[in-house]
Amino acid sequence: MRKDQSIKQKADWVLIGLYFIMVIFGIVNIHSASNASFDISIFDISHNTGKQIMWLGISLFVGLIILVVDIKILQGSVYPIYLIVLVLLVGVLFMPPINGQRSWFGAGGFGIQPAEFAKISTALLLAHFLSSVNIRLQTIKDVVVANMIIAIPGALIMLQPDAGTLVVFTAFLFVMYREGITYDPIIVKIINSYPGVRIKQTWIGSNFIPILLIVIVLSLVTLSIRESEIILPFTMIPLGGKYIIITVLVVIFLLFYLVVQRIAQKRDKAKLVALGAVSALLLSLLVLGVDFAFENLKQHQKDRIELALGLLEDPHGKDYNRYRAMSAVGSGGLNGKGYHNATVASPVLNHVPEQETDFIFCTLSEEWGFLGSAGLVFIFTVFLLRIIAIAERQKNVFSRVYAYSVAMVLFYHFAINIGMNIGLAPVIGIPLPFFSYGGSSLLSFSIMFFILLKLDSERVNMLASD
Amino acid sequence: MNFDGRKVFIIIFIVATSIIYSLKLFHMQVLDDTWTENAAFISETRREIIPPRGVMFDRNGIKVVSNSPYYDLRFVEKKIVDLDTSALAKLLQVDDTFIRYRFNEIVRQQGTYKGKTNYQKAREYTFLQGLSKEEIARIAPELYKFPGFYEVATSMRQYPYPNAANILGYIAEVDSSNMANDKYYKRGDYIGKSGLERFYETELRGNKGIKYLLRNAANNTIQAFDEGRMDTLAVQGKNLTLSIDIELQAYGEQLMQNKLGCIVAIEPATGELLAVVSSPSYDPNLLVGRQNISANYPKLLLDPHFPLFPRPTQAEYPPGSIFKLIQALIALQEGVITENTGFPCTSSIVGCHNHAPANNVSRAVQVSCNPYFYYTTKKIIEQGKKKSIFEDAAYGLEIWERYMHSFGLGLKLETDLYGIRPGLIPNPAFYDRWYGKNGWAFKTIRSIAIGQGEVKLTPLQMANVAAIIANRGWFYTPHTVKSIGDDGPKPEYLVKNKTLVDSVHFLPVIEGMRKVTEEAGGTGRNAKVLGITVCGKTGTVENPQGKDHSVFIAFAPMDNPKIAIAVFTENAGFGGTWSAPITSLMIEYYLNREVTDKAKEQRILDAIILPSIKKP
Repeated sequence: MRKDQSIKQKADWVLIGLYFIMVIFGIVNIHSASNASFDISIFDISHNTGKQIMWLGISLFVGLIILVVDIKILQGSVYPIYLIVLVLLVGVLFMPPINGQRSWFGAGGFGIQPAEFAKISTALLLAHFLSSVNIRLQTIKDVVVANMIIAIPGALIMLQPDAGTLVVFTAFLFVMYREGITYDPIIVKIINSYPGVRIKQTWIGSNFIPILLIVIVLSLVTLSIRESEIILPFTMIPLGGKYIIITVLVVIFLLFYLVVQRIAQKRDKAKLVALGAVSALLLSLLVLGVDFAFENLKQHQKDRIELALGLLEDPHGKDYNRYRAMSAVGSGGLNGKGYHNATVASPVLNHVPEQETDFIFCTLSEEWGFLGSAGLVFIFTVFLLRIIAIAERQKNVFSRVYAYSVAMVLFYHFAINIGMNIGLAPVIGIPLPFFSYGGSSLLSFSIMFFILLKLDSERVNMLASD
Repeated sequence: MNFDGRKVFIIIFIVATSIIYSLKLFHMQVLDDTWTENAAFISETRREIIPPRGVMFDRNGIKVVSNSPYYDLRFVEKKIVDLDTSALAKLLQVDDTFIRYRFNEIVRQQGTYKGKTNYQKAREYTFLQGLSKEEIARIAPELYKFPGFYEVATSMRQYPYPNAANILGYIAEVDSSNMANDKYYKRGDYIGKSGLERFYETELRGNKGIKYLLRNAANNTIQAFDEGRMDTLAVQGKNLTLSIDIELQAYGEQLMQNKLGCIVAIEPATGELLAVVSSPSYDPNLLVGRQNISANYPKLLLDPHFPLFPRPTQAEYPPGSIFKLIQALIALQEGVITENTGFPCTSSIVGCHNHAPANNVSRAVQVSCNPYFYYTTKKIIEQGKKKSIFEDAAYGLEIWERYMHSFGLGLKLETDLYGIRPGLIPNPAFYDRWYGKNGWAFKTIRSIAIGQGEVKLTPLQMANVAAIIANRGWFYTPHTVKSIGDDGPKPEYLVKNKTLVDSVHFLPVIEGMRKVTEEAGGTGRNAKVLGITVCGKTGTVENPQGKDHSVFIAFAPMDNPKIAIAVFTENAGFGGTWSAPITSLMIEYYLNREVTDKAKEQRILDAIILPSIKKP
């Protein structure tokens, strides 16, 4: 009794409200996206709507259990949970492949994807590890262990291979970033292992997320112009793709060198020039590496990247899904075509494949228009910011790390899934949380959500030093 | 350490992403119309409206080809619920395995695009085509047990007369080469495969209309796409008025029953074909609809008498003695003989029969004296213009070939009957290939004088020769369609072709042809018709493979001819015995609509002249 009251009083009702808005709106959409006939009972579990409602019931039931059991039980079982999921991730590799991936246990409509639950188990173990006494994400040992916690399930997922979920696992980098991780000690140690070199710190290790963004932008530029060619001025040397960027980097370095020679103080000159040279060298290596990596991708992966960059147009072939999804979204207009009135993302006409799962956003956008689609983006953003706010108000590290994990995993799904529906991300098959059809996905995101609710409601009871 | 900066960075990152996404959504959904247009093209449905195919009337306005309702059984896979294949097979009276086979076949037929099948579960496909009224009456009441299946009324050809199959041809579903050659056709469309159906395909089919429709989520049409601006109206196929007299055609086919050969009748004044009988023939209704075609076509194809072979246009026979008429005309025009030139009947050169002396052209025609035409042709070929007999023969043969071409021989007569053959008129190059240059003289090629040897004519060309003689020197290209819609025939059939022989030279030949049927000693007295002056000529074609072929050409009446005709009866022996009486019956029937000599008619109807077929 006492616990129930505490949950009622301390649960975050804003978050709960947003959760229910999303799952109910999600089921309303699934009903439109997957049923040709409108008079089907929504509780008929031989149809998608009924199945999803059943899964919501299961999710709520599991959620209720999470809310009423003692938080100590959960915190005490992070290792068993992590290990069980690892065993499942190994076991799933022996299942028969579906669409070339060994990701599913069971078959038909009631399968389970262990990778969905690996996100939770990883988040819990990471939270447990980072909240342990004497853990500092500035020491080499702790950084390595924290990364291993993420890398082990990541590697198993890569073997399936499930590129989408693997990408989502990089969300934990943001979590560790927020927790103050720095890779500097590792980088410094590696650099200093060369005789004669002695540096104290690099900017890179502690600012890896901004640097990651620079790397991503530079990679996109590299990929965008890798096919183009210019003639170097005053010479007859043709420069192709990657060498243009490297030339630009060298020119920037030379300008930097001249500026340093002129204005820098004498004792800093050598250091600055060395820094500039190393940066230019590393970025050049990055450019060559990206080019090399792209060359070694599979053709369909290359195609997807080129389609997303607009280098390739093939609306009826390789770009079939994305082109149709974008047509559905774009034709929604301001108000949409009305519920059950989609003409592109319609379940009968089948113009958009996978439209009740990965491409559910198009049905919503086509039928509810900009008001619906921007509304979804808004609700989701509010939901994410609310989770971050909750994370920041936690007094103990465990809850904060876990809450950030939930926020970043959901953000990844949100950004990639909607991005691929509107042409801002390559097609990576991951669901839109709470909206896409699929029991495994709804259940795992709900469990993730209810654990967060539970942790938040217990924030007063849990000591900061826990 | 304080990492609040990192918190702010993450929040900014999330908010920036959402703002960028919202802006992109606003651009895509509200500002930019491109995606709306793309969506319209994706969900737009083209509905082809296939106009009724043109029908055909005979020269007297009798309908000979019409459209009759048939039914297709179609399905939409998405709407099929718990299909009981064996019950469906039972209802359709097909094998259990056929149902599965047919589904697979349909999917296969749609082809693939970049590895994905074009088959769509939400689309309509035809499961069975061309079901008759009786079949659908049995099937339709039970179809409610098979949701997703339904019947659609279509139309199919129907032939009120079981005749003229070789002229009319048949229609069938397009094959992949048809679709590759002409983008107009989609799978399931019909196309003329032979005969007039094929020759006048573009006129008969009309033009499909295309309606662009938008569909909603339930696959129901919601509105015309782009307010119907892109729609095109269907243009109905044109009706054809044939020059064929269907009753004459039917009578001709009846006369030719149990015989191999053909009858070609032309109205000389217009070049219009009145009857084109190819025997044996078949009922054109046998080749209507997919099931009929697949059941009957192989049988017809394997029939040892080749009913599918259109003899009038494609069979090339040596013409035999009817060829003598042309030799006489050329010789008269070339001035190498006069109408009163006589030649001895020297049977030692070429065989002949007993007859009165051929002391002029008309007598020679009347008795069909072989040596007479040997000499005549010798005079055409050996004109003495060159020193060597070889060069002289080549020179003469070239002149002779020019005359033959002007009679439409050795060339394709560009008629509208599908699949014409040119026959063969040998020229110097032809013989040079056989014997070498200067390796042949008139003696070598003498059999062409009496229409044997290398010379070959199609029955159509033989009838056209009769028409030319009836016209005294000119012809219109024979054709079957009098009028396309109300526009008259194709313009090329209104161009008069003149032969190189002046009309005055035809008179002695025509007089000879009259004597053939009317005077004692004439070879074709069997062709005589009471009250009508028939001018004819017999031919007996030596056939190395079997019994001689019997041929007769004629026109009537002698003055103001209404019909020119050629009758070719394979393996029937002497020309006067079989082909001549058939000719007379045809002429009499055409001019009087009844025949007086019932005994003659009965003798022909009863005759069975079929070569024994070697059983394999």
